[in-house]
Amino acid sequence: MINFDEEIEKFQPSPEIEQAEDLINNNDLTDITDLIKMILKDKDSNSF
Amino acid sequence: MVCPNCQSNVSDKRNRCERCGHDLTIYKKIYRVSNLYYNIGLEKAKVRDLSGAITALRKSLELNKRNTNARNLLGLIYFEIGDTVAALTEWVISRHFKPDENDADKYINAVQDNPTRLDALNQAIKRYNNALTFARQGSEDLAIIQLKRVLQLNPHFIRAYQLLALLYIKMGETEKAKKCLLKASRIDVSNTTTLKYMKELEQQPALVREGASVSAGDSSTVMPVSTYKEEKPNVMAFVNLIVGVIIGLAVTVILIVPSIKRKNVAGNNQDYVDYNAGLAALEEKDAAIAKLQEENSDLQQKINELQAELDSIEIPEENPNLYDTLFQASSLYMDELSKRERDRDYTQIAQILRTTDTSQYESEEAMQLINRLKQEIFPLVSEEHYEKGYKLYSEYKYEEALDELFLAYDYDPTNVDAIYFIARTYHRLEDYESARTYYEIVINNFPDSRRYQNAVSYLSRLPE
Repeated sequence: MINFDEEIEKFQPSPEIEQAEDLINNNDLTDITDLIKMILKDKDSNSF
Repeated sequence: MVCPNCQSNVSDKRNRCERCGHDLTIYKKIYRVSNLYYNIGLEKAKVRDLSGAITALRKSLELNKRNTNARNLLGLIYFEIGDTVAALTEWVISRHFKPDENDADKYINAVQDNPTRLDALNQAIKRYNNALTFARQGSEDLAIIQLKRVLQLNPHFIRAYQLLALLYIKMGETEKAKKCLLKASRIDVSNTTTLKYMKELEQQPALVREGASVSAGDSSTVMPVSTYKEEKPNVMAFVNLIVGVIIGLAVTVILIVPSIKRKNVAGNNQDYVDYNAGLAALEEKDAAIAKLQEENSDLQQKINELQAELDSIEIPEENPNLYDTLFQASSLYMDELSKRERDRDYTQIAQILRTTDTSQYESEEAMQLINRLKQEIFPLVSEEHYEKGYKLYSEYKYEEALDELFLAYDYDPTNVDAIYFIARTYHRLEDYESARTYYEIVINNFPDSRRYQNAVSYLSRLPE
């Protein structure tokens, strides 16, 4: 049985077009490649 | 591929960057897996499994954020499910990573080149957010109104369909909820929320059908094996049929036929009433027509009378020269007034005034003017003619004297001298009757004049 209150809480407001710029700027674009690069960089720095 | 370390282009066949010497083996594997997820996402998108496609494409981008194809496709899918801002975000980021020869340019321009459409999409988002607020506050009716408008503005807004379906479910309107969910499922066939709500709606009818389906399953799946057997004729069935027909006929005769008859009678009565009402209305119309015709004949008679009266009226013809003689006389009079008194001659003016026909004068002012002129001029002219007449009388020119004296009398009937010498002239001419007439005028009308005594004296001398 669906619980309306629980279900309604799952719906989130949709971002409006005026907020698009903020969304683009605050988007976390870190991918696996970035993480590996960081790991390898840390590894290299620790080896010295 | 692009070396993640120095951003230079490297051949796909090489495992190490030629420029910075960075080992690319692991990156190549990651990129390959990212492309694999992109392909999965593309396959899912083609069969409208958009939720599955989004999941695959996000994984693809988590592995390689520069996978432009995956990002562009993700933007397209977001746009398809009504998530406009998310779509634009993905395309803008895609263009950031690949500024040239990127399909994202085409998508962004397509949206931005139609401001009306973009505004409608934004309005849809705003209204969806309002509807969500109303729904959380318990104002389901307002939320539904807003959501219906949202779906008019953007018919692909899946979350609006889902929220609307949830509200309908809460209000017990399952059919409407089903319709919303079906529309949502046509856009995205595997959306978890849509499927969950549909399953919820299908649970109750499934429970109701459960018992029937089980029993039907038992009877339909397990068929008894029987041998061929000739059926015997069933006499009872035939008898039952006959009995049924007889009962049916009896019911028809007892119940239905009287009802039909009553209906017919009622119909006839109604027709009779309608007929009578129609007759009454017809008679009323006839009476009204007769009355109108009578009024029409009366009015026509009045018209004829008025026309005859109108024809009998003689409208005097308008004579534009009617007052010309008056103007001429006035003008001459003013001319004479400008002369010295002894040089003035009113004879011509008097003739004009005497011969002027004033019977057609309508202007009271004109009549006043001509009368005033007559009062001023006629006594003077009368005196002139009297002087001439008296002179002719003295010269024994009695006929000519009479002409002048009568003119004097005509211009001024109170000129007693002129009357007296008319009498005297007739006396000299031995026209005693005429002389008597004028002597008597002097005696009767002017008893106080100086001519009175002479008139009495000469009258007494006239032969009888």
